[in-house]
Amino acid sequence: MRYSELMATDPDAIDDALFDELRKYYSESEIVELGMFLGFNLGYHTFFGTLKFYPMFAPDGRLVSQEESEKIYGAEPVSLTVKEAS
Amino acid sequence: MTFRVEPLPLSEIDDPELRDLIAEAEALAVPGAEFARIVARSPVHAKPFLRAMMMSHTQGNVDHKLKEVIRILLARFAEDPYFESLRSTKARAEGLSEEVIDAGAGDYEDSPLFSEAEKCALRYADQMYLDASKVDADFYAELKTHFSEAEIMELGAFIALQYGMQMFMRTLERANSGA
Repeated sequence: MRYSELMATDPDAIDDALFDELRKYYSESEIVELGMFLGFNLGYHTFFGTLKFYPMFAPDGRLVSQEESEKIYGAEPVSLTVKEAS
Repeated sequence: MTFRVEPLPLSEIDDPELRDLIAEAEALAVPGAEFARIVARSPVHAKPFLRAMMMSHTQGNVDHKLKEVIRILLARFAEDPYFESLRSTKARAEGLSEEVIDAGAGDYEDSPLFSEAEKCALRYADQMYLDASKVDADFYAELKTHFSEAEIMELGAFIALQYGMQMFMRTLERANSGA
């Protein structure tokens, strides 16, 4: 999760020490797998965000309209407001 | 340039499909043999990623040379020296010059080297990760005056994949991190 966060927000902070730590838990193959997955998501989430396309299903599994989905997952996601309130 | 994950020696890669993809990546020069041999450490993921990267770069309806300029613009924005240093052999063979690349990755808006459609595509890539809020409904309406919806998806998917892999590669490069 630290690798993911830094790749998106502060890639200059990624150093040999972080990779040494990653290697305690993951194989070289798994680190590459993780890195590709993170990069892919980093690129595509922003692209999809510009399309204003939201998930077809609410977190509780209901099929929802794009308007309702935008309220749940959009600029001010309900999931985050609920988290902040709790 | 040294990498935090070393490229796998070819002698350790037995999968013929993966070897063919690495050869293709080397011949096109993008994503290049070093990237291909690094991701080869996870063959199950390397194969679809390499295939998608090369297919989205060289196939489709949008000009390959324009995509190559976009790719380098993104690499400069991502501050990724590895991908920034690569040049597509196909784009070179089709006549893409360093002058056009530098203009595309620089002040392309005022450059006479690009059409309005090309400038719009460059702006799409430029703004996507600089300020995605500017890639709004009005911007897509402008894109649609130059490109079909299929071409816009072709461009968007290409931009997203290239930028994502550039950011991943950047985390592997010691030269750029100072570590």
